[in-house]
Amino acid sequence: MTPERFRILVSGILIVGVSVSASLMLLGFATSFLVGWEGSLTGAPPGTSDLTDFATMRESLLALRPVGIAQLGLLVLIATPVVRVAASVVAFLLEGDRLYAGITFAVLLILLLSLFGLR
Amino acid sequence: MTIGADVGIFAVSVLAGLIGALAGVGGGILVIPALTILFGVDIRLAIGASIVSVIATSSGAAAAYVRDRMTDMRIGMFLELATTSGAVAGALLAAAVAPALLYVLLGVVLLFSAVQQVLRLGEELPADTQVSPIARRFRLMGSYPDAQLGAEVPYAAQRVPLGFVMMAGAGLVSGLLGIGSGALKVLAMDGAMRLPMKVSSATSNFMIGVTAAASAGIYLGRGDVDPTIAVPVALGVLAGATIGARILPRLSNRTVRLVFLPVLVAVGVETLLRGLGVGL
Repeated sequence: MTPERFRILVSGILIVGVSVSASLMLLGFATSFLVGWEGSLTGAPPGTSDLTDFATMRESLLALRPVGIAQLGLLVLIATPVVRVAASVVAFLLEGDRLYAGITFAVLLILLLSLFGLR
Repeated sequence: MTIGADVGIFAVSVLAGLIGALAGVGGGILVIPALTILFGVDIRLAIGASIVSVIATSSGAAAAYVRDRMTDMRIGMFLELATTSGAVAGALLAAAVAPALLYVLLGVVLLFSAVQQVLRLGEELPADTQVSPIARRFRLMGSYPDAQLGAEVPYAAQRVPLGFVMMAGAGLVSGLLGIGSGALKVLAMDGAMRLPMKVSSATSNFMIGVTAAASAGIYLGRGDVDPTIAVPVALGVLAGATIGARILPRLSNRTVRLVFLPVLVAVGVETLLRGLGVGL
C-alpha cells in the first residue's frame, strides 16, 4: 500500500464514520421535535427509560424512537477513532512497515483494554 | 431543552469545533462552561458532552488533515503509545491522588508554557531540522505542503525522549483529571519536539480522538452522555471542525499559535482556579 492510498483509507474511514453518525444524530434530533425523544415513529407506546441509558438502545431502535437513533449516532462517533486505529494496523502491514504495525497494534490493545477492561 | 437553547448550544459548539480544529485541542474549555453557565446543564452531563465533542473535533478535522498531509500519522501513533498508557495509568491512580494539588501543578505548567509561546510568536518555522538517530529509527520526520508559504516544508522531531515523556504525562493528566490533554499534546510536539505549529496542531487533533474514545466508554456506562445535550453539541462541533480544517492549511504557523495561545491561557487559568477551589 502506498502512503497516498494509506492516507485516503484513513481519511475515508473518518469521513464515513462522521457522515453516518452525523446523519443518525440529525435524524434523531429532527424527529425528536415531531414525537419527542421518547416517542415512537412506528406508533409504539412511548419509552420510559432514562435518556442516558444506552442499554435500552436496541429496544428504542426497534420502536424507531429518536433517542435510540441519536444514541446509535453517538456510538458510531465514539467507535470511529477505534476503527481508524484498527485499520491503520492493517494498512501499516500492507505498507510493509512492521515496526509501526506493531506500535499501532499495541495502541489498539491499550485502547480496547481501557474501553472494556477497566470497569 | 427548548429550541432556543438547542440553537444556542449548537452555535457555541460550532465555535468550539472551529477553535479546537485550529488549535489542536478538544474544545472542552468552551463547551463545559458554556453548557453549565449559559444553559444550566448539570456539570456531569456537560463533561459527558465535552468528551463527545473532543471525538467530534478530532474526527471532523482529521479527515481533511490526513488527506492534506498536515497530520503526521507515524508521529501520532508513536506518541499515542505514550498517551494511551499514561491514560490507563491515570485512570488506575485516580483514586489514590489528591486532585487539588494536581490541578494547581498543571495550571502552573500551562501558564508557564503560555509565556514560552509568547516568546515564540516571532518564529514561523523551527530552525532545527537535524535528524537524530532515534528520530530516524522511528521515522519521526517528514514534510508537509504549506499553502501559505507555497512550499513543501521538511521537519524532523527533536528531543524525542522528552516529547515521549511529556506525552505520557499528557495521557496521565487526561486519565486523572479528564482535561487539558490537547493543550499538553500541542506543547509536547511544538515545544519539546520542535515540529512546525500546524503539524503539531493537526497531529494533536488526530490523537485526541483516540485518547477520548478510550474514556468515552466509561462516561457512557456511567450515564453521563445525554443525547439531548450531546447531540446538538456533537453536530455543532462537527460543523465547526470541518470549517476549521479547511482554513488551517492556508493560515501561517504564527496565526495558528495566536489561536492556540488564548486557549492555553484559558485552560491554564481554569485549571489553576479549580485546584484552588474556585470551580467554574
